[in-house]
Amino acid sequence: MVDAFIPIGSMVPLTGPSAADGAEFRKGVILAAEEVNARGGLLGRPIKPIFADTGRQGAEDVVAAARALIGTHKVHAIVNGYNIGPQNSEYEPVAEAGVIYIHANTLLQHHDTVMSDPDRYFGCFMTDPADYWYGPGFLKFISWLRDSGQWKPSSNRIAIVSGSKPYSIVIAQAMAASAAKFGWRVSFGPEIVQTPTSDWREALDAIRATEPAVIANTHFYSGDLASFQLQFMERPTDSLVYLQYGAMHQSFSDIAQGKGVGVLTSTVIGLLRDEMGQSFASRYVARFGEGSTPHIGCQSYSALHHYVLAASLAGGSAGPGGFEQNRKVAKALKAVIYRSVSGTIRYDEQWQAAAPYPVVSQDPSLGLPHLFFQIQDYRKPLALIAPEPFNTDRFVLPFWIDARG
Amino acid sequence: MADGEAATEANAGRVFAGFNALPNGAAVWDETGALLFANRAFRQSFDFALPVGLPYARFLTAVAASREWRLPVPPELWIADQAVAFGDESEADYKSADGRVVRMSIAPVDGGGAVTMLSDVTAAERREATLLAAKEKAEAVDEAKSRFLRAANHDLRQPLAALKIMIFNCVRETDEARRRELLHGMDVSASVMEDLLGALLQIGQLDAGRIKPRIATFQLSTLFERLEIQFRHQAADKGLRLRIVGARAAVSSDRALLERILSNIVANALRFTDVGGVLVGCRRRGDGLRIDVVDTGRGVPPEDQERIFDEFYRAADDRRLEKTGLGLGLNIVKRLSDLLGHRIQLKSAPGAGSRFSVFVPLGNVWHSEVVETEVNEAVAGEFVGAPILLVEDDDALREAMGQLLDRWGVDRRSAAGAEEAAAIVAGGFRPRLIIADYSIRMSTGLDVIAHVRAVSEAEIPACIITADAEPGVVERVRAAGVPLMVKPVSPPRLRVMMHHLLFERDPV
Repeated sequence: MVDAFIPIGSMVPLTGPSAADGAEFRKGVILAAEEVNARGGLLGRPIKPIFADTGRQGAEDVVAAARALIGTHKVHAIVNGYNIGPQNSEYEPVAEAGVIYIHANTLLQHHDTVMSDPDRYFGCFMTDPADYWYGPGFLKFISWLRDSGQWKPSSNRIAIVSGSKPYSIVIAQAMAASAAKFGWRVSFGPEIVQTPTSDWREALDAIRATEPAVIANTHFYSGDLASFQLQFMERPTDSLVYLQYGAMHQSFSDIAQGKGVGVLTSTVIGLLRDEMGQSFASRYVARFGEGSTPHIGCQSYSALHHYVLAASLAGGSAGPGGFEQNRKVAKALKAVIYRSVSGTIRYDEQWQAAAPYPVVSQDPSLGLPHLFFQIQDYRKPLALIAPEPFNTDRFVLPFWIDARG
Repeated sequence: MADGEAATEANAGRVFAGFNALPNGAAVWDETGALLFANRAFRQSFDFALPVGLPYARFLTAVAASREWRLPVPPELWIADQAVAFGDESEADYKSADGRVVRMSIAPVDGGGAVTMLSDVTAAERREATLLAAKEKAEAVDEAKSRFLRAANHDLRQPLAALKIMIFNCVRETDEARRRELLHGMDVSASVMEDLLGALLQIGQLDAGRIKPRIATFQLSTLFERLEIQFRHQAADKGLRLRIVGARAAVSSDRALLERILSNIVANALRFTDVGGVLVGCRRRGDGLRIDVVDTGRGVPPEDQERIFDEFYRAADDRRLEKTGLGLGLNIVKRLSDLLGHRIQLKSAPGAGSRFSVFVPLGNVWHSEVVETEVNEAVAGEFVGAPILLVEDDDALREAMGQLLDRWGVDRRSAAGAEEAAAIVAGGFRPRLIIADYSIRMSTGLDVIAHVRAVSEAEIPACIITADAEPGVVERVRAAGVPLMVKPVSPPRLRVMMHHLLFERDPV
């Protein structure tokens, strides 16, 4: 007997500090499932999302969520956004059950784990590029500002400060490793600061002493980053300030307000502002209300659509134990190049992770764009300033440099 | 008579039909230059009407106006020339707008007038062009081969002769020191021959058009790094300073070929510099970049500045020098830069050193290739370079854990027991983290941790791994304030533990 619906699991933080992101990942999955079902489902069968709360997103929380989805709900796949803490430990129950797992954890560890045993981890996919790519991507970006004459750096020095999460450390080290290649010299750091923290004054004093042209903070909590920016503004230097990912959030601007104007930030997976992206955003807001944020929900939304396409191509999905069929789905996921509302998701054959544009793929039709933003008016959406052809705005010299120059 | 006329008319009809069946165009003009007849193929060759009686001059004007044919001279001139030559025997080929080649032949008709014939010779022309290209290529290859043989004869003879003498002497030599000297000499001769063959092969490939550039945008700094590694020792051996000024630009060129150009120039600069040094750097020039190789060498006299790029050119005083100068390096530079379209400039004067410059277009940094796309945790993980001491007495387990740590890029030392661990620390290794098995031969992991901390005079973070989760052991480890993991330890759990011990204040 065939089940009426196909159960699809999703591990999202519905409670705890990341509940706001979790709510959006949940909405993304719901909207994608509704669209898929309106089109007739997966080869005629409707899909049904089942959510498991990952709370504080530690390894135990996420592994428990995976076990519940697989053991109790017999899901055919787990599709979600990111969970910060499991460090790939959730891959074990997934590998043992032989189901498909697509996430946006943005971790280099994913490459390592998958490549250490490709046969075991055949079903594990990362729908966005690894954290590592933030490093060389950022170096390319500031070199582009420099080489195209949009900004004249006061020196070739760059200061790098990191939070204490693996994600931040990897990005900081990747930045440091690529700096020389693009003509930059790391004058400070990468300095690892215990996070969460709201006190950055000691690090900032040490940074100011090296008079860098660029200050990059790879920590990603928006509140902590807002403190960093406010403390930087107590005595600003002639430096561009880049704050990793967290400055994308409204909560950053709510705290930093006018003092955050000029700050640079980026994401390796975001919502494009083209016709596809805008159409998605309006469907999303129409479905979930004004307060919802489609630029976060797009991650799980795209991942689920991609999964359904691949599973249809493979001739269907399978629940726990259905190794043979799910291997076909995994193969199809690598074969199907999917232009999502965030840009193109093309899984690397070995890494099983999306390749970024323009750092790995120089072809915008084959990589997920690493989007660079600047806060230009803290009450308005961020300005998308790079890379071409996705940008909609121009870089503006931060006022604290302007005033001094 | 009437029958005869009818027969003639019938025959004429058949003649016309026959002409119309011809694949080639044919037209007949009377002695005044008026059109008597044009067959179907002729009419179809033009998109204008060809009524009987059309004057030849009007026909020419219509051809020129149609722009279907590419005329060799301005239209008025062509019309005039053709009109004057009416009735003379001639033949000319015209390229048509759609790429075909049409041959127009004109022949006089007895009693006045002329016949014009058109034929499509596109295929024949193409075959001829292909044949010609093949012939030229064969000749070039042949020429390259001859040159190769001449060169081989020219430059291989000398080291070969030296080699034969040295082999001969070496066989008879009994003195060990002298023998070693001869063997070294043979080694040098062999590498000279090797270099020469390599260079000749490159030139041969260039001549045969086998080197196809692959233009990409890349960071010049990666290429400079490689130059530095390649020439650092050579410069030091000669007592020269080699300075390579870091570059930040992205350039658009062929990475491998540009490297060959620069390495040939640097090798040349080092060879002809006896005191001082060689400097490599670059400057922005318009929308391009000038890469300079500056030396404090002998310099090139003005009359030689063109010739130094020729094959087998050698400076007049070079013959007395060590036989490493092959006279091919700068020729390769010239050929490769021609291939890439990079201008080469030389500024030099005798006794004042030289500056060789290569002009390269700048690339768009967005499109620059990041060399390491094969990233993994050994290259960029959070544990890269962290010094870690692993103490485990089970050989298989130590090996497996060691491999895991290596994959994460850890600076790892492994010990099978307490003594080995003590020796590693005594040798100066200062770990940032100790991972120790609890029960190791004659001792415990806790003892090792205490010892290493005492020697290092630091509270180095540590954790204990044990297969023996007996309450007594757990109690002792807890009492020592060291976190404990029970075997088998999965990679994610180990990773989480290492992260906390290395980077977070409060271990979980």
